[in-house]
Amino acid sequence: MATRESIREALKMVIDPELGLNLVDLGLIYDIDLDEDSIHIAMTLTTAGCPLHESMIEAVRHVAQSADLTKMVYVDLVWEPPWTPELMSEDAKKALGWSTVATR
Amino acid sequence: MSAPTNLASTLAPPFSMVSKYFIASVLSFVLLCGLMVLFSADIQGHHFQPKLLAMTHIATLGWITMVIFGAMFQLVPVVLEVRLFSARLGEIQFWIYTAGTAGLVYGFWFFHVGVLFTVSASLITLAMALFILNIVTTMGRVKQWNLTGLFLLSALVYLAITALAGLLLSINLGYPFISRIHLDYLKIHAHLGFIGWVVMVIMGVGLKLIPMFGLSHGYSTKPARVALVLVNIGLLGVSIEWLLTGAAWLLTTYVVILVLGLLVFVVQLVLILKHRMRRILDLGMKHSVVAFAYFLLSTLFGLGLATVEIESTELRESLILMYGGMIMLGFFSMLIVGQMYKIVPFLVWFHTFSDKVGKEPVPMLKDMFNERLGSVQFWIMNGGIVLVLFGLGSSQPIIAKAGLIAVFMASILFAFNLATVFRLRSRYGNKRIHT
Repeated sequence: MATRESIREALKMVIDPELGLNLVDLGLIYDIDLDEDSIHIAMTLTTAGCPLHESMIEAVRHVAQSADLTKMVYVDLVWEPPWTPELMSEDAKKALGWSTVATR
Repeated sequence: MSAPTNLASTLAPPFSMVSKYFIASVLSFVLLCGLMVLFSADIQGHHFQPKLLAMTHIATLGWITMVIFGAMFQLVPVVLEVRLFSARLGEIQFWIYTAGTAGLVYGFWFFHVGVLFTVSASLITLAMALFILNIVTTMGRVKQWNLTGLFLLSALVYLAITALAGLLLSINLGYPFISRIHLDYLKIHAHLGFIGWVVMVIMGVGLKLIPMFGLSHGYSTKPARVALVLVNIGLLGVSIEWLLTGAAWLLTTYVVILVLGLLVFVVQLVLILKHRMRRILDLGMKHSVVAFAYFLLSTLFGLGLATVEIESTELRESLILMYGGMIMLGFFSMLIVGQMYKIVPFLVWFHTFSDKVGKEPVPMLKDMFNERLGSVQFWIMNGGIVLVLFGLGSSQPIIAKAGLIAVFMASILFAFNLATVFRLRSRYGNKRIHT
C-alpha cells in the first residue's frame, strides 16, 4: 500500500527538464493527502504560465497512479502560497550554484 | 482514473508549422554569414548598396523575424494559456513570407527593382498582416493582460508600420513617387523595424523568459513599465520629427527619451539577473548576457553617433558600419543563438517527450545538443565579432574578413548543434500519431 512517503519518493522521478531537478527537491509538491479511495496532490510551479505546466501535472498524476492503482488520483495546481526558492532542498540549491549560506 | 491526453496538442500549435520557421531562420543565418565572408568588400563604404541591402534583409527578414514568428507562435499560446487562433494560417503565412523574402533579397542583390520586387514586398506585407491578425486574435482571448502582452502589442503595431513603409520604399525604388529623400524614409523604416519591432519583442519576451530560465524571484518590474512608456514616446516622436523635418531640438529630445527608455530596460535586466536563483549561467544564458552587454554598448554608441559631430565622412561611415555590426552580430545574433539553445530543445522535447515524463527516462534539455561544441562555438563567435567590429571601425578589411570567417564557422557549428536537436524528433517522435 502506498503511503505519503512512498508517493513523495516516487514523485522524485518527475524531473524538470530545464533545471534537471526533480519536483520534490524543487519544493513544488505542497501536499499529499491519502484517504480510502483517493490520492490528492497539491502542487505548484515556479512561475505562472510555465510552458511545462501540462506535462508536469500529467507526469505527477501518472506517477501517483502507478504507486497505487486502486485509488483515484487528483492533482491540484495551486498558486497559494506562491513558490519561493527557499522551498528548495539543500541539494537542489547546491545544484543551481547557490552557496549554502542562505543570504537571499 | 485519468485518461491519457495528448499533451503536445492541447495548446501548442503543431510541431511542423513552428519548426519550419526555426529551420528557415537558422538556414538564413548560415547563408548570411557565408555571404558576408564572400562579399565582405561590399560591407564597406556607404550603407546604401545592393548587396549590403540584400544581406541586411536576409538578416532582418530571414534570420531575425523568422525566429520571432516561430517563437511567438510557440510561446504566446502556452504562456498566455490560450489556443492559437489558426495554426493553418501560420502555415500559409510561412510560404507566402518565404517566397516574398526570397524575391525581395534576389531583387536587392541584382538590383532588379521592377514588378517582381514589388510583388515580393507585397507578399511580405501580406504575410505580416496574416501574422498580426493571427496573434492579435489569439491575444483577444486573453482575459488578463500583462506587461509582456503590452510590449508584444506595441511591437505588432510597429511591425505593421515597418512593413507598410518598406512596401512604399520598395515601390519607390522602381517607380519613384515619393518626392522626399528616399533615405529619410529608410531611416524611419529601419529604426521602427529594429527598435519598434525587434527590440520591443525582445523586451516583452525577455521579461518572461529570462526570469523563467534564471529562476528569478522577488524583483520589481517598474523599470520595464517605465521603459515601455519611454521607448514608445521616443520612437513615435523620432519618426514624426523625421517625417515632418521638425525642429532639431525636438528630435534630440525624442532621441534622448528613446535612449533613456532602452537604458531603463537594461536596468530591468540587471535587476532580473541579480535576483536569479540559478547562479550558474548555461550556454543559452551566456550568449544572452553577452548580447545584452552589446545592447548597452550599441545604445550608447548610437547616442554618440546621433549627437557628436564627426567631420571626416570616411570615419563616420566606418563608425556607422561598426554600429550596424554591433547591433546585428553582437546583440541580435548572439541573443537569437542563445535563446534558440533554450527554445528549440524545449520545442522538440515538448512534442516528443512531454507525455513520457515519469513513465520512461527522458532527456534533459541541455542533453539534447552537444554542450561542449556549443561552448566552442560561443567563443569562436565572440572572437569573430570582436575582430569584425575592430576591422570595420578601423577600416581594416583583412581583420574584418578574418572575423567574418570565424562568425561563419560559428554559424555552421550552431546549425549542426540544432540539427542534433531536430534529429531527436525524427528518431523518437514519429511513433506518435499527431492530431
